Amino acid sequence: MLSEHLLSAVVFLPVLGGLLLLLVPKSNPEAAKWLAFVVSLVVFAVSIPLWTRFDVGNAGFQFQEHAEWVPAIGISYSLGLDGISLVLVLLTTLLTPVSLLFSVSHVEKSVRSFSIAFLVLETGMLGALVALDLALFYVFWEVMLVPMYFIIGIWGGGRRIYAAMKFFLFTMAGSLLMFLAILYLAWANQSATGAWSFALADLTRLALPPHIQTILFLAFALAFAIKVPVFPLHTWLPDAHTEAPTAGSIVLAGVLLKLGVYGYLRFALPLFPQTALRFAPWLGVLGIIGVVYGAMVAYAQKDMKRLVAYSSVSHLGLVVVGVGAFTATALSGAVLQMVNHGLSTGALFLLVGVLYERRHTREIAAYGGIAGIVPVTTALFVIATLSSIGLPGLNGFVGEFLILIGTWTSAHRWWSVVAATGVILSAIYMLSLVQRVFWNPISHEENKSLPEIRTSELIAAATLVVAMFWIGVRPNDVLKRVAPSLEALRAQVESSSGNAEVRRP
Amino acid sequence: MTGALIQFSAADLHAITPELVLVATGCLLILLDAFAPRARSWFAALALAAIVASLGVLFWLPEGGSFSGHLETSPLTTVVGLFLGATAAVAVLVAKPYLQRTGEEKGEFYALLLWGHVGVSLMTRGLDLLIIFIGLETLSLSFYVLAAFFRTLPTSSEAGLKYFLVGSFGSAFTLYGIVLLFGKSGSVRVADLARPDLAGDPVVIFALLLLLVGFGFKMSLAPFHAWAPDVYQGMPTPAVAYLSVAPKGASLIVLYRVFSSVFQSGLPGRVESGVAALAILSMTLGNVVALAQRDIKRLLAYSGIAHMGYVTIALAVFGRDALAAVIVYFFAYLVSNAGAFAAVAALYRDESKPHAVGLLAGEGRRTPFPAAVLTLCFFSLAGIPATAGFIGKFFLFQAAIARGLYALAVIGVVNSLISIGYYLKVVYTLYMRDAVEPEGPPPLAWAHGLALALCAAGILGLGLFPSGLWEAARSAAATLPFFGS
Repeated sequence: MLSEHLLSAVVFLPVLGGLLLLLVPKSNPEAAKWLAFVVSLVVFAVSIPLWTRFDVGNAGFQFQEHAEWVPAIGISYSLGLDGISLVLVLLTTLLTPVSLLFSVSHVEKSVRSFSIAFLVLETGMLGALVALDLALFYVFWEVMLVPMYFIIGIWGGGRRIYAAMKFFLFTMAGSLLMFLAILYLAWANQSATGAWSFALADLTRLALPPHIQTILFLAFALAFAIKVPVFPLHTWLPDAHTEAPTAGSIVLAGVLLKLGVYGYLRFALPLFPQTALRFAPWLGVLGIIGVVYGAMVAYAQKDMKRLVAYSSVSHLGLVVVGVGAFTATALSGAVLQMVNHGLSTGALFLLVGVLYERRHTREIAAYGGIAGIVPVTTALFVIATLSSIGLPGLNGFVGEFLILIGTWTSAHRWWSVVAATGVILSAIYMLSLVQRVFWNPISHEENKSLPEIRTSELIAAATLVVAMFWIGVRPNDVLKRVAPSLEALRAQVESSSGNAEVRRP
Repeated sequence: MTGALIQFSAADLHAITPELVLVATGCLLILLDAFAPRARSWFAALALAAIVASLGVLFWLPEGGSFSGHLETSPLTTVVGLFLGATAAVAVLVAKPYLQRTGEEKGEFYALLLWGHVGVSLMTRGLDLLIIFIGLETLSLSFYVLAAFFRTLPTSSEAGLKYFLVGSFGSAFTLYGIVLLFGKSGSVRVADLARPDLAGDPVVIFALLLLLVGFGFKMSLAPFHAWAPDVYQGMPTPAVAYLSVAPKGASLIVLYRVFSSVFQSGLPGRVESGVAALAILSMTLGNVVALAQRDIKRLLAYSGIAHMGYVTIALAVFGRDALAAVIVYFFAYLVSNAGAFAAVAALYRDESKPHAVGLLAGEGRRTPFPAAVLTLCFFSLAGIPATAGFIGKFFLFQAAIARGLYALAVIGVVNSLISIGYYLKVVYTLYMRDAVEPEGPPPLAWAHGLALALCAAGILGLGLFPSGLWEAARSAAATLPFFGS
């Protein structure tokens, strides 16, 4: 039973756990926190068979499930997992317990509601990663916004309402046109074949005229570009990441941003191959601008969390460059780098949260010289930083290296030259952050009695560090699962765009 | 035509049992109020029983015409009847504790609500323009009085007078339109309008325009919307829950019925552009003005104006799927909008004061259940997936796209985005601001809680499992004669 519906179980266990939380009395916040954490751990445990039983050489969708949902209009409940979604699903099921474990000692206001929102969010993210029906995907994609809106708006920092609103409106603005594009595709399928369908497999077979493809592609691309975010649509990100509570920032940076790239790979590319290839150079250029711009703005920040947020703009820019280059190596690197960024930025947000909870300030200038006072926190932060800037032996190096190599071998060799500066810049701003926060002489009296990281926080951070080393040493564990699916995607895109070139008069 | 002017059989009477039950219960309530005032606490139960009984009868009626084909019993009237009856039931459930609290628990309220409900029901079942008009007037007269129900409050008296003046004005348009149609076709039966020579006749087009204006007033479709904010503000909230949903749905069904009879081969281009223009105006004006509202009932009034704009898109699309989309949309609107008014009735303590949005600050923690339902209703009105409101918009925009009306669909979704601005304003006031009112609202009565729970269940139920309603709406829509299907 469970093995046939493994994906459904992984997707809906969190929300069922959320319902279970409603039974916990409000007067018992501790029970709510721990129950939510246990639920997320169970979800992680249930998701492990996805990894172990995944057929590594198989490029297609595995663990598929299919049921009618609204048969009259061709909406089905179709789930499936390939290498690309597999690694992101595991990243999600890992980051959620990590975030909840961190929150155990730090969320005080309406704890039960926070835990429920977080679990609903997990269901939304996982559902979007495994949905193979466009209507189903859209439902999960939008449903994610609601809990995140509350997480930022209720449990966030000083400008939380503004940040929550901006996050919601930006994301919604992108998605609504994609919604119409999805409706158009279903209708086009109906007029071409006589049957309504929202299934990805059916809609990729549509032969749309080029100008229609362009319009629909732009609608999809806008939705995903805002989510990533691609420069110049990134302005919601620093606000949302900075104002969100730590757990929210971890998941926002760790998973939500990835859904933009994932959506592009899963939907925009196979649905509109010709147009996607035509626009790929633009995508790459925007990615490059993001890399350099994000890095420069990050360097100028006075607020630790904002700095990490802008570093996300830069890192995701590099991922976008990899997607734009569209060689096998660059794509593998891009997917791996998504996971890496989730781990390293997740850890950075977590550790910034550790400091913030003790000093209640995120000002870089308020720290300095605390390495001797909180050595464990410092060690973890340094490892996360090194992972983020791509030190060999840690995970970030592999991803960045593959993207740069892959881009170098593509038609746009100069991209990798410019993008490489982003790697250097990231070392500059991250190391200077470490310098100013942990080394420099102690300038504030309060810092002398700064408490060390707690056990629960340590376990949460250490989990991520272990994952960083694991990918750094054995990147092939991830790559061999991702590569066949990416190769199939490339073949599909190039063959259908090639055929279309031939067909065109 | 035989000798007698009025002739009907027992079968005809059987066909209007649903309405008769309601009228009789209304009369009984008035009598009980006068002669057995101690039974007042049972009035709501009696009214609810009448609504449920009337719905039950509706489902058992044999299909077909009655009163020589002037009244319809069909899948369409059954499905629409379910929508209307459910709206009335929510209104009664909310009214009971609300009237008790304000010390106005009287038989008139329920009687007028039931009679108004009969009027709406006749509008949707009438196959004869005069029956439709009589239904419209029955509705209007009942609700003119309900608007001014709180006699001692100036806002309520103002609401009554405004609704009366504007409503009469609107009715005059409708009546003039009916007269012109009668003059052209020689009949008041809707079916007799189905003549090829009428579809292109400028007088007929003008008459239909007048009907559009007249029913546009009832639907609070811009630019005939100006009464709605003032009337909603002064009217008892449970009555607004009904007025803001049921008559609007009935009006659009009537328009669809008449239009589909006249234009057997599709809407002529200029009629389509005219209807589309009204839809765009109403969506945009409603949403933009709603952004500036500080009173929640006025905000909901403007949101309603915007929603009527969305759903009017389906009249421009004009087809079987579009009519089915209208039906689904109104079911979604019922649970979201009547639910929102039910929650508003639960969240405010003092009916004599304006319902400022700011007063809701912090209620998310103090009165979690009504606040959560209001939030859910607002997400549904905004069209967020997994709610009923999304399903309504889904089928609506799907129909528009299948018909090639891309501009309408794009303007529709851009408007949805604007609307999120004011819906979220209320949500963050509830959850992200600290309380300003020293005291929370009065404790929630169980009937009120039931109404809220039903609406919430409806929002999620329709949002997650829309298939059954869509099939029912599709077969209901087949009742009207449509080109090519």
